[in-house]
Amino acid sequence: MEIIQKFGLEARLFLFQLVNFLIIVFVLKKFLFAPLKKMLDERKRKIEQSLQDAENAKIILGNATEEKKKIIAEAKSSVDMMMATTKVSIEETKEKAAIEAKSRSEHIVEEAKQRAATEFENMNKKIGKMSVDISGKVMSKVLSNLFTEDEKQKLISRALEKIDENITN
Amino acid sequence: MQISPEILFSIAGFPVTNTVIATVITDIVIIVLVFMVSKTVALKPGGTQNAVEAVIDYFRETTEEIAGERASFIYPWVLSFFLFILISNLVAQFPGFESIRFQTAALEHHGVPFLRAATSDLNFTLALAVISVVVTHYFSIKHTGIKAYFRRFITFRMFPIFLFVGILEFVNEITKLISFSFRLFGNIFAGERVMSTMYGLFSFGLPLPFIVLEIMVALIQAIVFAMLTMAFMHIMTDKSH
Repeated sequence: MEIIQKFGLEARLFLFQLVNFLIIVFVLKKFLFAPLKKMLDERKRKIEQSLQDAENAKIILGNATEEKKKIIAEAKSSVDMMMATTKVSIEETKEKAAIEAKSRSEHIVEEAKQRAATEFENMNKKIGKMSVDISGKVMSKVLSNLFTEDEKQKLISRALEKIDENITN
Repeated sequence: MQISPEILFSIAGFPVTNTVIATVITDIVIIVLVFMVSKTVALKPGGTQNAVEAVIDYFRETTEEIAGERASFIYPWVLSFFLFILISNLVAQFPGFESIRFQTAALEHHGVPFLRAATSDLNFTLALAVISVVVTHYFSIKHTGIKAYFRRFITFRMFPIFLFVGILEFVNEITKLISFSFRLFGNIFAGERVMSTMYGLFSFGLPLPFIVLEIMVALIQAIVFAMLTMAFMHIMTDKSH
């Protein structure tokens, strides 16, 4: 008992300190630890979310780069194919145009030849006719004095027949 | 040398001692701190919030390392003990403690100190010790069950070895109260006496190294009390122990 008195142990003071500390624990728990824990958890969640987002963004970026490479490669191969096709097409068109031009020129030449031949024939005919007329006129002029009218006519007819034969041959 | 706190006056029969006033000052400091932090609590922490968060995070992580899932109910108590003891001890380092005297007609010529460290009062330290032990036992019953709790103290397995161990456990619980309360009380009370002597010898410069020492003691004692509470709570709530 003496030692208790010496250390100043007193029931009311002890109870005061007991209740006081319990109140402090309540205040700390309710107004400090709880909101701070909530905030720390929220921060932790946000950090985890941000890290996850960053990871996702990294994956998406990687995929996009892969996709870009793929698209570029596809476009390149497509362009190469188109170039080859175009080249072939140009060659074919060129060849076709050349063939067409050749055939057209041949046709024109043929046509010109045929026309020239016809013209030549017509000219021949015309010249033949003219020579017959001239021969007839020359003959009539030459023979008018040597033969009678009947003889003249017979000679002319015979001559004309001969000329006609020659022309037709 | 007086070990017990000095009674300054009484309010409705309640003796107001200098340690009671120091306790009230500690309460005010804690409440102001709590409302300062809770008002400005934000995802982007400021200066005060940063400091409080660092302390809370340290204790939470340490408790989680030791007690695992049970940390959620252990660490608020551990942290409360730490903050309350630390602030009580640090407040006592401010000028005015011991030096401001309180004089009444009944008191001796120089009066008594108006303020004295709350932790240098055995009522204070014993109250904390009792709360620590009672809460530990409450958690023990809650988490291990009433049967397991009593088996810790009374068992007839391997008679009489475990019965004797049980008695030792019981004695251990009483010594916990004594060690908790007297360790804290003794350290702070002795520190106060040393400081008082130093101020008495030479007030300028000489007490400075002792103030640094007392700040260290304040921190160490708060950590010791909190860590021991954490360890006992972990042991008593663990089914394998």
